[in-house]
Amino acid sequence: MLNYIWAGLIVFSLVFALATDTREIAQDRYRNDAALPVELHFPDGYAADARRQSVEVRIRPEVYQAFYDTDATPERAYDGTLVQTQDGRQVRFDAGASLPEPMATIREVTAGSDGELRAVLQDFVPNGRTVAASVAFEPVRFVKMTAITQAAFDFADTAVNIIIGLIGALALWLGLLRIAEKSGLVGIIVRLVRPVLRPLFPGVPKDHPALGVIALNLSANMLGLGNAATPLGIKAMEELHKLNESEDTATDDMVMLLAMNTASVQLVPPVLLVAIMGLQINELIFSIIIVTGCSLLVAITAAKLLSKMRRYRATDPNRKTAVRLEENNPSDAADVDDPDAPPSNT
Amino acid sequence: METFRSIVELMAVFVLPAIIVGFPLYGLYKKVPVYEEFVEGAKEGFKVAVQIIPYLVAILFAIGMFRASGAMEFLVEGLRPVLSLVNIPPEVIPMGIIRPLTGSGSAGVVVDLINTYGEDSLIVKIAATMFGSTETTFYVIAVYFGAINVQKTRHAVPAGLIADFTAMVLAVYVVQLLFG
Repeated sequence: MLNYIWAGLIVFSLVFALATDTREIAQDRYRNDAALPVELHFPDGYAADARRQSVEVRIRPEVYQAFYDTDATPERAYDGTLVQTQDGRQVRFDAGASLPEPMATIREVTAGSDGELRAVLQDFVPNGRTVAASVAFEPVRFVKMTAITQAAFDFADTAVNIIIGLIGALALWLGLLRIAEKSGLVGIIVRLVRPVLRPLFPGVPKDHPALGVIALNLSANMLGLGNAATPLGIKAMEELHKLNESEDTATDDMVMLLAMNTASVQLVPPVLLVAIMGLQINELIFSIIIVTGCSLLVAITAAKLLSKMRRYRATDPNRKTAVRLEENNPSDAADVDDPDAPPSNT
Repeated sequence: METFRSIVELMAVFVLPAIIVGFPLYGLYKKVPVYEEFVEGAKEGFKVAVQIIPYLVAILFAIGMFRASGAMEFLVEGLRPVLSLVNIPPEVIPMGIIRPLTGSGSAGVVVDLINTYGEDSLIVKIAATMFGSTETTFYVIAVYFGAINVQKTRHAVPAGLIADFTAMVLAVYVVQLLFG
């Protein structure tokens, strides 16, 4: 299933970006070849030989709305700079100006590192402090296509940064857990939680440390301790992987752990949410506990029921052992060689 | 509720130092060479983290492209009429779609809703409950299975998404019941 969702995300993004860009070109949303009529106001008067001088660009709302066929309203005036060179005159809107759409997008796509929107000045005849003229922006095409490409690289970067941030916490917890394992502490935890967790993770032998780490992971999750829950979950997965007969396929127990992690009861709301909501969060704790309690039950049931489904049973890496145990049930054993069985990576 | 929260939060404050100090202390008591064992275990940290990188890159760049393409808004518009039929306010749909994909993105949704509707509004309460009740499922899958190099996740995605979906829908109705 992950294969399809993953490919679906990428293909859908491409199709969608292409469709949006095509529509924008068809509608000529950015008026690439036309110039927007504006009024230039020189607070200190126009200096014909100055290379740079400050200027106020005034855009009349009705002209703007008609030009771009939009409802957005520009501000009365934007501060900018008039740059004169031998090749012509250029107006630069100061970085940080709150531009209306689609000018904001034009700036986003065409502006350099200084964040200034640049436009070529046309029909400019110097005549007093306030002059009518028009500005032509750089042509803008394929905004979304550029955006998705950029996003792909940005997020690849983000992924690595997240992991680098995780290394410290991971090392700390793996170190502590190693001590806990060697000192027999994990064994004590295992004995404590066994009655509850054993039915959920039937593939784990009675005294295996996996149960102890799973218990620590789930408790950390409940207490909203994000920087402990993830390393503990990783360690729990490693312990479960030791019981896995295959290299690359998840066992039922791993899926159960994952499902319980995505739906775990939250006694303490996540730090990020507390930061956003402030004191308001107090009201919500009760509702979050009810919701997560129910969804935990649903997650456990879903993981159990899904693992019983034919297609997922057929791909269970520990199934061969299971078959040996259920030899007296020939209809089940037949599933293994089922030629119609879907590929195991769904 | 506030007393409950302060008790649980007190626990949350003390449980980590108790473990960080308690584990090595118990190790000492059991005559384990604690420093050596700690280093031995911690060594794995870097290796495991590096192992996760390809998985997380795969998941996150696809999600990033999807967000940048604007497809999310399109999906929200498409779902709007269907969901208002079953009494789910359409304003919280972006949360439902974005939550399993990215944590920071869905936090952004909550902030947007607070700015638009105010902290006291029912919509913000629903969205915040949704946020607090679910996980960034795809991130968890990438990290947990990446750490052990498992690519074939079998029913992990459907199980995780079913849990998320239940929590989302429940959040809407529970909050409406409690505060509506």
